[in-house]
Amino acid sequence: MSARTHQLDLIINLARRNLSLQFRGSFLGLLWALLLPVIQLIVFVFLFQRVVPLGIENYPAFVYTALLPWNWFSASILSAGDLFFVHRGLVRTPNFTPSTLALVAALTNLLKYLVALPIIFVLVAISGRAITWTVLLLPFIMLIQGTLIVGLSLFIATWNVFYRDVQQIAGVAVMLWFYLTPVFYSLENVGREYRILFMLNPMAGLVQSYRAILYEGTVPDWSGLLVASAIAVAALGIGYLSYRRMIEEVYDFL
Amino acid sequence: MNLVLEIQGVSKRFRTQRNRPATLKELLIQRLNGRYPTAAGEHWALREVSVSLEKGRSLGIIGHNGAGKSTLLRLICGLGRPTTGTIQYWGQIGSLLELGSGFQPEMTGRENLLTGGILGGLSRREVEAIQDDIIAFAELEEFIDQPVRTYSSGMYLRLAFATVTHFDPDFIIIDELLAVGDSRFSQKCLDRLKSFRMAGKSLLIVSHDLDQIRASCDEVLVLEEGRTLMRGDPESAIRAYYDVMRQRTEKRQAKIGVADQPIAPVQQGKRYGTQEASITAVRLFDGEDRMTDHIYAGSPLTVELEYLRLNTVYDMACLVGIFNENDTKCFQTFIPSVQTASGKLSERGSIRCRLPQVPLVPARYYIDVGLFPPDWSFVYDHHQAMHTLHVMNENGIVADVSGVLMVHPDWAVRPLDPS
Repeated sequence: MSARTHQLDLIINLARRNLSLQFRGSFLGLLWALLLPVIQLIVFVFLFQRVVPLGIENYPAFVYTALLPWNWFSASILSAGDLFFVHRGLVRTPNFTPSTLALVAALTNLLKYLVALPIIFVLVAISGRAITWTVLLLPFIMLIQGTLIVGLSLFIATWNVFYRDVQQIAGVAVMLWFYLTPVFYSLENVGREYRILFMLNPMAGLVQSYRAILYEGTVPDWSGLLVASAIAVAALGIGYLSYRRMIEEVYDFL
Repeated sequence: MNLVLEIQGVSKRFRTQRNRPATLKELLIQRLNGRYPTAAGEHWALREVSVSLEKGRSLGIIGHNGAGKSTLLRLICGLGRPTTGTIQYWGQIGSLLELGSGFQPEMTGRENLLTGGILGGLSRREVEAIQDDIIAFAELEEFIDQPVRTYSSGMYLRLAFATVTHFDPDFIIIDELLAVGDSRFSQKCLDRLKSFRMAGKSLLIVSHDLDQIRASCDEVLVLEEGRTLMRGDPESAIRAYYDVMRQRTEKRQAKIGVADQPIAPVQQGKRYGTQEASITAVRLFDGEDRMTDHIYAGSPLTVELEYLRLNTVYDMACLVGIFNENDTKCFQTFIPSVQTASGKLSERGSIRCRLPQVPLVPARYYIDVGLFPPDWSFVYDHHQAMHTLHVMNENGIVADVSGVLMVHPDWAVRPLDPS
């Protein structure tokens, strides 16, 4: 058996293990992965269709297409700081590459995304729009987002071993980042002078792309996706380099 | 040569930085005040250690606490990189280091076994094919689908041991494999390791149990303060280990100079130690609690020793043994911590060790007593062959027995039926 298929076996097994751990002992089990975004959706719909109407048509489908990738991102980043601490036993296993953990965490949260994904098609159907071929671009956009998540996770996980503030900062950053990403509002609500801010936000580019392919049925705006890809690759590079430089000290520290 | 492991000139330095900032705030404050963490504290856990392991051989590593054994094992397992030197291995390592540390308590035994197997280099399918063997070996058929947090520590270790040793690693690293479950199971483990060696696999064993090292290693590496003290056959390595203990004791003795209090001259045997805790008297009692140095074979014996300790000694281990005239160990026992057994140590006290039966062949024996610091790194006071014990035959007649153990033989000779 080649090393690569073995590595894949390991990642899949660990991701499955993490997923089943999260819902173990709960009555609804994996159904929670479906329920949580739906509850979020209901709150958003109530807030921005009734309390402070934003005037966006087909608001449920509009929000939900962005909510799922955002949850994937935030859940991964928020748990990244603890990655090496929680899995200390694994990190100390011979022949185990700790960076695998970042991949596994991203995959675990992606699986939750996939569980909740079918609801999108229901919502889009309700809104009277058709699902077009552009949905086939989904894996491609997920790959970019996954790269971004793994890169940031590696960075946070590594440095948080030495400076526990990193996790705190990441927590605050994710919260602010949410408001600067067009999840519950549309980029069209944003004044032109601020657009540059959103151009540089890789999550904005990604969320817009998901929305384009799933909800609008159009090809995503390539420029936004290009910026997101560049930042994702840079994040992966920086994250991996920090990890490579510090991992020996991580072993000594844990 | 068919090497499975080669370690060349490995050193490992740990930096114990003073003022190392734990948070960014501290880092900022330090930098703003123009202070930088001083790398003053350097600790070399290993220095220039070289050793190799051939296929089918077993290597033991001994050394006192802090000699660098664990650091070396961790480096071999790939946990951390040596500061200098190289470590190379060929094949899959099975590590009994921190047994079961990769287990996730909420998952069932079966799920942990699967993860453990994949971590051990197998595919999911391969693990599933042998999982029944593992469960049977660990004797956990009833509990395998329970979360491992509900396991007793014995069950936990059994599963961990069974998991690691069934994945067909090319060599196994063992750290203090002494107490996996009950004695029957630990014998099963030793048998398994033996069959491992028969199959041409290699073992790397770290242990404090010198008898185990003697029994299961072809070659032994003795580490002392991170350096290779010697490498050789088990007997000479163990001698070197004791020599180190003696040297440490002498060094310490010279440094603290407790020996100003007069010690009674030794009439026979040997006595040495720093005398921080000193054995002031040794008395033997028979089954009726009479002080004596004569007992009958198979009757009870109580060894009592009185100690006097300095107030720098908080805890000690106490050793009692019986040796014959050929200096063969007939029996030995110890308590690792007198303090745990009795509470806070008084300045003077006595320790009694009662042996319900001493089934030794009638002869002259020596009672060996010793007090050691709890990590056994040097000697407080050790009396070797100083105290005589005569074991007599109950009927006054010496039966036709020899050896160490006194058993009354009962012979029967019978012709076999011609049919």
